[in-house]
Amino acid sequence: MIGLQGVSAQERGMSFLIKHRGDSMKPAKVERMMDGKERDYVQHLFGKHISMGQVRYLRCAHLDVYERDRKGACFVDAVTGKRFFDCFSSAGCFNVGRGNERVKAALEDALARHDMGSHLLLSEHKVRFAERLASLCPGDLDKVVLCASGADACAGAIKLAKGATGRNDVITMNKAYHGHEGFSLSANGKDYYKELFLPLMPGFHVVEFNDLDAVRRVASENTAAVVLEPVQGEGGIHVATKEYMTGLRKLCDELGVMLIFDEVQTGFGRTGTMWAMEHYDVIPDIMFTAKSISGGLYPNGAVVYRAIEPLVSYVEKNPLFHDSHGGGSDLGCIVSQAVLDDIVENRLWENAAAMGARLKEGIQEIASKNRDCVKEVRGLGLMIGIEYVHEFIGALMAECLARQGVWAVYSGNAPQVMRFQVPITIGGHEVDDLLDRIRAAFDAMRWYLVLLMPLARIPFVGALLNNVHLQIWAFNLVRDLEEFVGKIMNRRGGA
Amino acid sequence: MKKADGSHNRARGLFDTAEKVFSRSYVNLLREKGHDVIEQEGDGSWMTDAQGGRYLDCYASAGTYNLGRRNRAIARRFMKAVHETDQGNFVMPSDYKALLAQRIASFVPGRLDCVLFGVTRGESMDAACKLARGATSRPGIVTVDGGCYGETGFALSLTAKAGKEQFGGLIPEVLAVPFGDEDAALRAVTDRTAAFVMEPIQAENHCRESSREYALRIRRLCDATKTVLIFDETQTGFGRTGTRFFFEQLGVEPDILVIGEAVTSGMFPMTAMVFTPELKRFFDIHPLIHLCTFGGHDLGCVVAMAALDEYELAEPWVNARMMGQRLASGLHACAQEFPDKAASVAGRGLLFSLRLAGGEPAAKAFCARAMREGLLVETGRVDTSTVLFRPSLLVSEDEVDRIVQAVRTILAGL
Repeated sequence: MIGLQGVSAQERGMSFLIKHRGDSMKPAKVERMMDGKERDYVQHLFGKHISMGQVRYLRCAHLDVYERDRKGACFVDAVTGKRFFDCFSSAGCFNVGRGNERVKAALEDALARHDMGSHLLLSEHKVRFAERLASLCPGDLDKVVLCASGADACAGAIKLAKGATGRNDVITMNKAYHGHEGFSLSANGKDYYKELFLPLMPGFHVVEFNDLDAVRRVASENTAAVVLEPVQGEGGIHVATKEYMTGLRKLCDELGVMLIFDEVQTGFGRTGTMWAMEHYDVIPDIMFTAKSISGGLYPNGAVVYRAIEPLVSYVEKNPLFHDSHGGGSDLGCIVSQAVLDDIVENRLWENAAAMGARLKEGIQEIASKNRDCVKEVRGLGLMIGIEYVHEFIGALMAECLARQGVWAVYSGNAPQVMRFQVPITIGGHEVDDLLDRIRAAFDAMRWYLVLLMPLARIPFVGALLNNVHLQIWAFNLVRDLEEFVGKIMNRRGGA
Repeated sequence: MKKADGSHNRARGLFDTAEKVFSRSYVNLLREKGHDVIEQEGDGSWMTDAQGGRYLDCYASAGTYNLGRRNRAIARRFMKAVHETDQGNFVMPSDYKALLAQRIASFVPGRLDCVLFGVTRGESMDAACKLARGATSRPGIVTVDGGCYGETGFALSLTAKAGKEQFGGLIPEVLAVPFGDEDAALRAVTDRTAAFVMEPIQAENHCRESSREYALRIRRLCDATKTVLIFDETQTGFGRTGTRFFFEQLGVEPDILVIGEAVTSGMFPMTAMVFTPELKRFFDIHPLIHLCTFGGHDLGCVVAMAALDEYELAEPWVNARMMGQRLASGLHACAQEFPDKAASVAGRGLLFSLRLAGGEPAAKAFCARAMREGLLVETGRVDTSTVLFRPSLLVSEDEVDRIVQAVRTILAGL
């Protein structure tokens, strides 16, 4: 990597420190803008203390952006000053818009009096938030366990189902993504995340999504739960069908199996309704959520379950079955309450539905002109995915979009699918602007495809192109060359 | 008087709602310990409730408020940061994460230079176990009995939580050996063992403490078998035991250290695992293999950096040592005064456990009486016949004397 060569790590670090602090004993601060050298230093730090692999991975598609001015649907790159549409939203965390003034004000006010509170003690904020959350959930989803994150909530939901039914097995979906702690990792539907950490929990069965018969075949009297995302996010924006959901509900009722919905990404208006389950008129026995509950400012999460047997009796017998420290803190509940106020008062789900339709229509129109590289456009509300015909197009397109000021990533569990999950506060003009940029990115990509598409048809080369490690290596090389050339040009310009 | 009635009615309404939305038994559990109060706010060593009660907070939310409740310097920085940043896109290599990781690397002694952030203690323990398995390509995880690591999958599999069998099959290849038994550890750790996991002090288990010899033997055993040694210092870190981390006193450095919410002094749900550069290679080869949306939250990073500034400035471990001695001699004196009620006192720094002769009911009764004496304490999770004392590390002499006086009164009335 040319950008990181030539100067020792120590020297790079020192020049940065001297420039900004004049005192090498004190650590650097986050600066409003960074030049290339400073960015290299931060990358070096990140690589040294966290993961250089991650830096290289994101760098290869121009996704190594340092976010500043996080506002609404956009942020600004600290190095180039370029404005980006945030089409990832930290996998759907920024439903109320980044830097939402109301939520910020609530947190700032709260900090004058509150901290996380005492874990286990009750406070007005904890109780009121839990009550409000339950009141916004359909049907008899009336009971709440506050958690600290999506994975933590997933663990809580699975424990509740297992404990209450006294059964062990859990049915989950192919390509499903629920998190990385022990329970949720066992429930993930992609081997890539699991295979290095085996053995995981026994009794987790992965079946095809949207295939009711597959669930029926595996379900038994030992099945505690069926877990699914109504719209698979990381799995590549696959939307559950209504027949499937209705069928699952019926099957679970017959067998005494707990139906669990993961509404971590789909909740809080994302899909055009407050919860994705409302599209189906199906109420799960247990649902869990996180991400946008925090307004992008303070971690929180929750399990919400129906006031039915055996769930209620189980929790009455085991009130601390999932005693998650950090979940449902005072500050967290104050922030989440402000988030709910904002969503409900502005009926943000309606905007998600309207803007989702506008964006999807636009993308479909673009796709119809690029039939050779787009396989399908699908989604619900402002959770939209473009599936390309080859996996390598995902990485390529991320790069082309980044150049157009659109920060979008491909799905972790399905690299051929690119996700668009902008904050649901986005306006109509912004959607049109975003569409223009996507159009331009496709035009730019066609130049690459002239070379790559014929190659991709050769099976061996196709496999190579889809190899992530090779992509990282190749794109980093291109990036290094680019920066090297850029430096020389600058030097000439300077002289 | 009228106002007091109002606040009582309000409180009753909140308890009714809590029974409905959480569970009746949960609220009853609080009642048994006299913890059926509506917490209002925290300030330094103190906590207040909505009914006008004021308590010396010796719970500190399981020992996370090391710099006191709502530390003002951290809160001030936090308020400013709210307008500067948010959580960020979690897959990005942010400078907030990088700078905090660097700060943590220099705060934690020894070769522990690399960081992966989590939200809960359990998530960081799960990440540690996964890293050990991934880096060694071995399945086995050995731990000691009586531990308490969290509620997530791996953490729960390692934890001595009563009734955990109701969750069915947990993580396989996990084995717990008796704490302090070198031979048992020797038999259990083989060339199939990825990690040996322990809390050097089991806070929730009557502060059972590893001896220097035992820790050293385990370190040597891990070196000989290339097993990853994991210490969880969630409750013992950040000055709690009189040094930054307790492993410094043991003279044994782990390969992975789990740190808890004390990293932000309880102002933000953030935990982390800190590990050696050799282990980091795994994350270089497999980037984004372990993700956590709220882990390394940019705003949380600012809060943690502010907390680390305060830690460096206040050096609360010094006060913890001094006040700890005062508290220790006070608690021991109380125990001697009431030998039929107080079975024993254990702990160090500002982390103490008092075991009640009357078992769990006595411990709960102790908590309830403590509330009447203006003291917030919580029972141990693993050894439920104990009551823990873990106040702010910046507690004053006067406050320590109050604690001791209250304990004397409570024991006398028990």
